[in-house]
Amino acid sequence: MNKYPTVGSTKVGDDLPVMRKSANEAELFLYSAASFNPHRIHYDRAYAHFEGHEDTVVHGPLQGSWLTQFVTDWAGPNARLLSVEWQNRASAFVDEEVQFSGTVIALDAAEGVVELEIVEQRSDGTTLMPAKAWVRLEDH
Amino acid sequence: MSSSLIPSESLARVGEVLAGPVTVPIDRREAQRYAYAVGDENPLYFDEKAAHAAGYRTITVPPLFITHALVLPKPANTLREDGLYEDTTSVQLEVSRMMFGGEEWDFIEPVCVGDEITATTRLADLDQKEGSKGPFVRLVRETTFVNQDEQVVARSRQIGIAR
Repeated sequence: MNKYPTVGSTKVGDDLPVMRKSANEAELFLYSAASFNPHRIHYDRAYAHFEGHEDTVVHGPLQGSWLTQFVTDWAGPNARLLSVEWQNRASAFVDEEVQFSGTVIALDAAEGVVELEIVEQRSDGTTLMPAKAWVRLEDH
Repeated sequence: MSSSLIPSESLARVGEVLAGPVTVPIDRREAQRYAYAVGDENPLYFDEKAAHAAGYRTITVPPLFITHALVLPKPANTLREDGLYEDTTSVQLEVSRMMFGGEEWDFIEPVCVGDEITATTRLADLDQKEGSKGPFVRLVRETTFVNQDEQVVARSRQIGIAR
């Protein structure tokens, strides 16, 4: 049986496997370096507090890249990510575990395209980032 | 209706180019550093055979990497107290705080290592809305990414919320 979703194997209401992520101080630093982002709230806890944040802040676009990974890991190498969108509702902080979950909300069998509704949440259920993605499945 | 948070000079800039065009080669090492930094070790970003098997010309890059590939190096003595660079492309608004509202992306053609990508950012939209906590401004910066063959490979819309 194929490891990845196909038009035939996918139906509206299917859930994606949950993905958990967190970033420690070194990982946040690495992301700042890789994205050439010197914003102090991502590596200086005292400065993050001074700006009114609870702790060192996880970069918004890092969570964006977690989101695309959540989708592409599910869809597999032969699928194509067509579009993605998200809203940043609240910040995630250093060492905090977050969870991505998602559901197939529409399937266009003729085009082989699925629409996914996704949410990134804190462990207490608070929504950090509601999102959507559109993917062309691998057998199309 | 509360008074306008958007000066008329700023409103007149809708449609204007805020940044670019800037052209940057997609570098394997930078893209792989990015992939490791986000914890996405997809073989498509590291293994040429896997990329070929999946229909790509050569290894490809994490979808959102192109934004960061287009960040130009700047001298550290232009950093502000908060660690950010002076933003020469900011739009003047009568607000105290600008927050990231989210992003919207369309991926149109694959981006592979060795491509030359040209990005141009425009002020796509600027409007004032009434929220539960009072008036706010929604600012949309749209970036178009074009490759060396003049194909549009991606479009991003970054939404800023200011109040």
